[in-house]
Amino acid sequence: MSDAPNVDLELDLKGLLCPMPMVKVSQSIKDVPVGGIIRAVATDAGAMADIPAWAKSTGHEVVSALKEGSEFVFLVKRVK
Amino acid sequence: MEKVTVDTMVGVLDKRMHRQLKQYLDICARCAICKDACHQYVGTGDFKYLPARRAELIRQVYKKYFTKTGQFVPALYEARDPDDNLLQELYESTYGCTGCRRCMYFCPFSIDTAWIAAVAKGMLIAAGHGNEMLGQLADAAIFKGDSPEMFHDVLVEGFKGIEAELRDETGDDTIEVPVDVKGAEMLYVGLAGSHTIKPAARIFHAAGQSWTLSLYEAANYGLFFGDGEKAKKIAKRFIDEAVELGVKEVVITECGHAYRVAKIFYESWAGEKLPFKVSHILDVIDRFMAEGRLELKPGAIAEPITYHDPCQVGRNGGLYEAPRRIVTAIAADFRDLTPNRAEQWCCGGGGGLVALTDMNDMRLKSGAKKVEQIRATGATVIASPCENCRLQMEDLVNEYDLDLKVMAVMDLVVEAMD
Amino acid sequence: MELYLEITSIWGVYLGIAVFIVGMAWRAYQWATTPRSPVALGMFPKPATGAGRFTKMLKDTFIAPQSAKIEPVMWAFAFLFHIAALAAFVGHLRLVQEFTPLKDMLGTQGMNEFAAWAGGIAGTIMMVAVIFWILRRTFGPYKQLSVPEDYLLLFLLLGVIIMGNHMRFFGIVHSETYMEWFRSLMVFKPEIPAEILATTTGWSLGTHMLFTTLFLIYFPFSKLTHAMGAFAANMTRSE
Repeated sequence: MSDAPNVDLELDLKGLLCPMPMVKVSQSIKDVPVGGIIRAVATDAGAMADIPAWAKSTGHEVVSALKEGSEFVFLVKRVK
Repeated sequence: MEKVTVDTMVGVLDKRMHRQLKQYLDICARCAICKDACHQYVGTGDFKYLPARRAELIRQVYKKYFTKTGQFVPALYEARDPDDNLLQELYESTYGCTGCRRCMYFCPFSIDTAWIAAVAKGMLIAAGHGNEMLGQLADAAIFKGDSPEMFHDVLVEGFKGIEAELRDETGDDTIEVPVDVKGAEMLYVGLAGSHTIKPAARIFHAAGQSWTLSLYEAANYGLFFGDGEKAKKIAKRFIDEAVELGVKEVVITECGHAYRVAKIFYESWAGEKLPFKVSHILDVIDRFMAEGRLELKPGAIAEPITYHDPCQVGRNGGLYEAPRRIVTAIAADFRDLTPNRAEQWCCGGGGGLVALTDMNDMRLKSGAKKVEQIRATGATVIASPCENCRLQMEDLVNEYDLDLKVMAVMDLVVEAMD
Repeated sequence: MELYLEITSIWGVYLGIAVFIVGMAWRAYQWATTPRSPVALGMFPKPATGAGRFTKMLKDTFIAPQSAKIEPVMWAFAFLFHIAALAAFVGHLRLVQEFTPLKDMLGTQGMNEFAAWAGGIAGTIMMVAVIFWILRRTFGPYKQLSVPEDYLLLFLLLGVIIMGNHMRFFGIVHSETYMEWFRSLMVFKPEIPAEILATTTGWSLGTHMLFTTLFLIYFPFSKLTHAMGAFAANMTRSE
């Protein structure tokens, strides 16, 4: 995957229950520069809706949200 | 502070000036009997967490803007304008409040400090000092409700995944996680994630109950944030869903504040009577047991076990006995906490605090009383029907090095079904 | 002294009672005209019937069993103080109307002895309670929480009580004379009896009434409106 964006921060959110994955992403977004990418891996199925909803309502961007086995992998881009 | 900010805050106080609030602000004798009722004050010794002090900050503003005597002799009441210091303390003491209302229980005038804190949060939000994280969580929940086309399929796919896992785990291919079922008897509102859905699905299946799963989670961060409108919108997501599906009963999962919102607040917020009954899942399980629809093995839980009344389920929700009937039916060695029921200590995890990492230190200290209570029973398992309580108690297990398993009551029930 | 008594024990009484009644009525009116919270603020356990909730409200207000459980010492002082204050108030009603059946039963001598004991005990309890509260507010979180209003009220109360006790324990004027004074107020032909003017008791009465007047005037604008509000707030608890 040569077109994969550079990841600025990796977040391991495995085992965390809702809403903690969303909370952690929200807290960490300030740690990457504008335009930077967070790669977050969660195991809670609720995150599949929660993280995109959080991104939409705060004005950030979910570049991709994929289910890989029992894990959910998100690429979140800081927009502002 | 700018005059316009002061005016905005005073405006919010005016708008929310109900009779009870006025009485609370007028009559508090500052006797401080509430001091030892608060787990946060007892755990930290920090004056700002003394319940009467939390209310006093609002009282100072009230005296200045809503009473003649406060305008005439402000010094007598320490009446004042809100300033940066007041805002900072108010932020810490009201977003720090779990809303357990244990202080109200012991107050000779039954002053509802949590209600005053809720009004204070409204004032903070208007001044641009609302808690950012809780606000974001509330907005995300509302966004989900406003854009079903965007989330419906993702959510249903997730639920079907849970169903498949459940069938794998139980070896039972008839077990279901039904969604969008019109005419189902019950709408079950869980929390995002499988841990609240799987045990409920097994219990409904065993009892032969017609049910459907809500697309939305019960949790309501609008309430914790302190914005009544947002809180209403978040609850409205599953209320509308229940109306549309025509269910007879809405069943809230093992979550404290969501139960209180649906059972006690929603009708007054919306100004309408709901066309269905609202129950807590443990009420429903208790009913299944009484009707003989759920076979549970007596004594299935061998370890010494105790039960924690979540404040929003017990003191503020009225459910004390049903959970105890369930636990005692399946436990060989049940040991209640002392004190319990209405006098139960708050665990410290309510009010959305588990999501507020900047208050971690206080939150863990405030659990000292709960830890003391648990240790006194010698129990190695604690059951509690509230997600915030469980998250807090799991943190307490690590912080205080407890030999304790924290469980939902449903999980125990499932263990006793096998 | 005549002028002092005229101000405190004639015009002060009228002013105090008038401000108290109008002020409390105004406070009640303010509460009544503010809309109730649409959300039920009650907590559990909560009696199922209206009568049950009303009874619980009375119990919560007059006995406050929960407060007794969490801070028994404070509760004991508060409870005894309120009982003593009620007893003292009832005792003072003798000024309005002699308790004839009781007096017939005990005789004049017996009645005066009974009044001396009852009033003395009530006055002592109140004085001890107020001193306890003043001391309690001088340290720790109690001090931090206190505002000038708290001390002012305790100071006024202490003044009322000490001067009342002074008359009770050191006074040489008998109740008949006070009755004569108070009844003259009631028929709006106020007069200070010569016997009071002629003795130092006049100073005691005047000062007792000075504190009482200030206390009554401030009452409706203070936290003491809990005398009314506690009933309403404790009803909210069970709604």
